[in-house]
Amino acid sequence: MRILLAEDDTLLGDGLRAGLRLAGFQVDWVHDGLAAERELRAQPYAAAVLDLGLPLMDGLDVLASVRRAGVTLPVLVLTARDAVPDRIKGLDTGADDYVVKPVDLDELAARLRALVRRAHGQPQEVLQVQDVQLDPAARTVQRAGQPVALSTREFDLLQALVLNAGRVLSREQLEQHLYSWGQEVDSNAVEVHIHHLRKKLGAALIQTVRGVGYLLPRKSPA
Amino acid sequence: MPGRLLPRLPRSLQGRLLAGLLGTVVAVWLAAAAATWLDMRHELDELLDSHLAQAAALLVVQTAGDIGEDARTPDAPQLHRYGPRVAFQVWHEGRLARRSANAPDAPMVTAAALASARPERDDDHSHDQDDKARRSDHKDPDHAERRPAPAGVGLGFHTARFNGADWRVFVARGAEQDVRVYVGEQQDTRDDILLALVRGMLWPMALALPLLALAIWWAVRRGTVPLRLLGRTLAARDPQALAPVLVPGAPAEMQPMLDALNRLFDRITAMVAAERRFTADAAHELRTPIAAIRTQAQVALAQTDASARDHALRATLAGCDRATRLVDQLLTLSRLEAGAAPASAQLDLGALARRVVAELAPRAIDQGQTLGLDAAAGCMVHGNDTLVAVLLRNLVDNALRYSPAGAELRVVVARGDGQVRLQVDDGGPGLVEADLARLGERFFRVLGSGQDGSGLGWSIVRRIAAAQGATVVVARSATLGGLAVTVQWPAA
Repeated sequence: MRILLAEDDTLLGDGLRAGLRLAGFQVDWVHDGLAAERELRAQPYAAAVLDLGLPLMDGLDVLASVRRAGVTLPVLVLTARDAVPDRIKGLDTGADDYVVKPVDLDELAARLRALVRRAHGQPQEVLQVQDVQLDPAARTVQRAGQPVALSTREFDLLQALVLNAGRVLSREQLEQHLYSWGQEVDSNAVEVHIHHLRKKLGAALIQTVRGVGYLLPRKSPA
Repeated sequence: MPGRLLPRLPRSLQGRLLAGLLGTVVAVWLAAAAATWLDMRHELDELLDSHLAQAAALLVVQTAGDIGEDARTPDAPQLHRYGPRVAFQVWHEGRLARRSANAPDAPMVTAAALASARPERDDDHSHDQDDKARRSDHKDPDHAERRPAPAGVGLGFHTARFNGADWRVFVARGAEQDVRVYVGEQQDTRDDILLALVRGMLWPMALALPLLALAIWWAVRRGTVPLRLLGRTLAARDPQALAPVLVPGAPAEMQPMLDALNRLFDRITAMVAAERRFTADAAHELRTPIAAIRTQAQVALAQTDASARDHALRATLAGCDRATRLVDQLLTLSRLEAGAAPASAQLDLGALARRVVAELAPRAIDQGQTLGLDAAAGCMVHGNDTLVAVLLRNLVDNALRYSPAGAELRVVVARGDGQVRLQVDDGGPGLVEADLARLGERFFRVLGSGQDGSGLGWSIVRRIAAAQGATVVVARSATLGGLAVTVQWPAA
């Protein structure tokens, strides 16, 4: 899952990026409010971690601006402002979660996973489409009760398809889900990963819509 | 003497107004009564005296005809209930010829009294009898009137006492020397008439006073409604509330008080807002390094890659250093804000600068920076050496922090024009105008500086300078191109 981290403090930002990567997220890190707003409007992130005390543009202003622009992605506000009025204001402005620093990395990752899950209408911790079960926290996948070993990229690709089950995702969209900034994207990487997934999970699971993209149907075709 | 009067006044404004207004009304009323009394007494005396004189003259004229008759017995009829209050005697050749029933046998005014006392006379009504009694050799009539009459004479008005009462007596003499007439009137009569007159004035007053008091009480009560409303409004207020106080229909006299009160609330609001902002900023500044330490430590624990773990551990240490520095700065600032003025003495700024530069030079060398000091001798200032050292350290530390590797830094201590000047120049990127203006706001730090300073250093520098009577000027360095900070003291 690719997320945006907006944090101006270098030490904390560096730690959060490292920690969230360990938890399996692809992390893009911006240092100021203007960059955060620009990236949130432009990129298809699964979620965002937003500090409020950002230079150039306050985090709350960023949040209000992107919400007005119709950006619906889950936003977790991570801030030192712990007063109740601040929390209320943050949530009312459009934050999906409000976490006061300092925060445990594992908890932050769990909250992010929960936010993403709920944003896709999946209340359960373990996502299920057809007979595929995907556990975002443990990063494990089962097919008809049998564990299936997937690489990091394959898992991320499958998670994107499961979260968006029933919708067609283009190759570009899938690439954006897979890679954070500075990572080289092979021109046919998505095709290669889809190929591997079909080999491991069955050819019928992921369907190709020629000229458009890929689709994981909610129900297996009869 | 209001100082002595004031404590005795009623405590309530309403009571004071009521007492003051009622007191004034009563005083004015009584003064009017007293003036009336004095005026009426004068007029009454004139009127009654002229009647006495006239009665005496009539008696003299009447008596002249029948002096020969031996009429010793009183024969004046009592015609009026005031009769007993009036008495007369007619003396002929030393004998009592006639008298009223209530007149004594002896002359109403004794010969001795007549002789010793100057007749009481009013200037404005002299009588024919007096004129006739005047000695022919007197040239000045006015002067003669005031002279005591010769023995056995003494005409005019007298005050006598007989029958157990004070009498006003007029003494007249007939054309012949041997007839003398006394007409007396009880003094009480006049007082009774006066009293009746004044009572007529005072009665309505006494009746009206309670009504007046009620009216004044009502008017004052109505007038002080806004005051009581203000009292209730303030009492009912939430002690935390800082909204302006509004009293509908407040009179003009109360407006200055309300304005002053609301200005006070405004100032408190601003102070509270500043404190809240400081707390919020401080929370952010303190929590962020702690959050960084925690996060980096957790990453270090979870990392399997050795170099990544080293990186996280080093970052943890850096976070600890930053938190330590921040706590030191906050403590310094809070000590400065507590306002405890530390002892100050003469100190050599050049020597102090040498000490601080020597202290920080190793760091400059580590960072590949050149740090130099140029101190003139005898730059004495008045101040606290600990605080001035903190100021110096902050300035040099800032210069080191915000200048790139290889940059030159120069500290100059010099004197001139009765001032001692400390200047720290650096070869860093300097500041744009907008940032120069904001420098010194707590927790303001320049963006993109790549440094995790809290912005507290500048607050500390400004505060120390202000406490030591020094001025701080920040500008672009003319020699090194970065920032130039100049602190000036009056030379000690």
